[in-house]
Amino acid sequence: MSLNVVPVSILYSTTGPYAAVGREAVSGAMAAVAEINSDPAYGFTIAAKIDDPGGRAEAYAGLGQCAIRDYRCRHIIGTLTSWSRKDLLPVVERNGALLWYAFPYEGYEASDSVVYLGPCPNQHLLPLFDYVLPRYGRQPFIVGSNYIWGWEISRIAREITEASGGQVVSDRYVPLGSTEVDHLVTEIQQKKPDFIFSNLVGQSATAFIEAYGAFRKNQPDAPPIVACNLSESDLDGLSPEARCGHVTTSIYFDRLETPENKAFKARMAARQGAGRMISTPFMSAYMAMSILARSIADAGSDAPEAVRSIATSRLFDTPVGPIGIDPRTHHAAFRPHLGLSDEDGGFTLLQSANEVISADPYLVRSLMKRVAAPHPVTLKVVK
Amino acid sequence: MTRRNRPPLAQWRAVILHRDHPSVDALRRQLELLQIRVTVCWPHLDEAQAVADVVFFDADMGHDGQFPWPRGFAPMPMIALIGSEAPGRIEWALDQGSNAHLLKPIGSTGAYSALLIASHAYEQVRAQADNIRVLEDRLRQRPIVVRAILHLLQNEGGGEAAAWKRLRSVAMDWGMTIEDAAEAICRNDKHTRSGA
Repeated sequence: MSLNVVPVSILYSTTGPYAAVGREAVSGAMAAVAEINSDPAYGFTIAAKIDDPGGRAEAYAGLGQCAIRDYRCRHIIGTLTSWSRKDLLPVVERNGALLWYAFPYEGYEASDSVVYLGPCPNQHLLPLFDYVLPRYGRQPFIVGSNYIWGWEISRIAREITEASGGQVVSDRYVPLGSTEVDHLVTEIQQKKPDFIFSNLVGQSATAFIEAYGAFRKNQPDAPPIVACNLSESDLDGLSPEARCGHVTTSIYFDRLETPENKAFKARMAARQGAGRMISTPFMSAYMAMSILARSIADAGSDAPEAVRSIATSRLFDTPVGPIGIDPRTHHAAFRPHLGLSDEDGGFTLLQSANEVISADPYLVRSLMKRVAAPHPVTLKVVK
Repeated sequence: MTRRNRPPLAQWRAVILHRDHPSVDALRRQLELLQIRVTVCWPHLDEAQAVADVVFFDADMGHDGQFPWPRGFAPMPMIALIGSEAPGRIEWALDQGSNAHLLKPIGSTGAYSALLIASHAYEQVRAQADNIRVLEDRLRQRPIVVRAILHLLQNEGGGEAAAWKRLRSVAMDWGMTIEDAAEAICRNDKHTRSGA
């Protein structure tokens, strides 16, 4: 093997409408690069080519093309929104490169040129609704960012709600990045839903939680916000009252009491100082870069075909435990958790799935079963 | 095998309703090779463009209200440009009356077959809609047929079979449908009278 330096593109928006999440992702990816580059066992180092598309979907394809053509990157770790992933995908496919995608998304995709390291709806939305529908009620108010993620997650949520005998109270969208959310809070106040299901992204999510927090201050019985994509970075900078009491599902929480997470946090504390909370986007991008590097080491090459073949044929130790990637769908199997946010902006673990759930990106298995004979995924209470 | 009429593509005008995108450039190239005149617009298709012979529309970012006609009533074949194979988006494209689709990213092929399939599907849908309209009219005219039979029974004697025979013969002689003949009999048109 003649690998010395492997160029890898890191393509997250660190400015623009969802910059806070993007910055966490870049930090996570670079934390992994630091570990890889200081470990001689790999036999190569990673040269990170970091680009910032500024949250503009149309900028991803050009930057991706440039990283592949001018910097010889054969792997891209990046994109947060499905909008940007779908704009980048043709470039990746045309050039025979591999995209490592590490965020929750709406499913209905399984490209040979992507490794999906974020959960899809049967791994996030279904467990979340199994938890919230019996506890809070069957009349959600749905709000989301106005693009494919918001539209499709809302549609699936509606199907699940109606299959359970409930009804969606309202279904509202705001442009990606918009912080004009007061009208949503007014409508919630009027319609009195059982809970608010938010698919907002980035600064829209933060603005909404803040506005809802102000309303809830005088309404202690106000229902919670629940989400599939709420992370510690969305709550950062908000008042303690606004931060707390929201339910989210995630493959990772900073407070996961597992040996893998304890070891990961200890390494991160040594790198960037103790006391810093690890967010899900940070961990996800870290995980993506780590799995990529280990696959390159095993393959003895950064050729996408060889790397893909290794990545989909073995388990990888990660902060969320051993992870396997299905060779048919290129999606990872995950053990979803549910968490409740507190005043510190972290999440207290509510429940965890008993076992890892393999991805069903087209919901052909999970939703059909549910609509035909509704029954919840078994979750156990974490003590 | 049925021989189908191929549309005169060289005389066609196409509208691509899509934001600036490499797929739009690729589609334009394919259409211009077929000598189709192409207009690209976004985010709305105005009434002046409604004279196009075919509309390619973005199924990913498209929304209601982009077209100057009611949902599902496009006056030309519609071809969806699909990037996200999400059910919600596909259902929306179907609601617009999509007759065919092209998957994005668009390369150097696909437009020609999509045009022929969409053109055929559109003509078929239109022909079926015409047939349905005719059949619905005939259904609406059922009571008049009953009234005509009763009229013949009362005024011309004979049994029910004779009345039916008379109704059919009026329709055949005057080149009318049974329903139109029945209406004429009820109006007591002189050419429907026996022996006239």
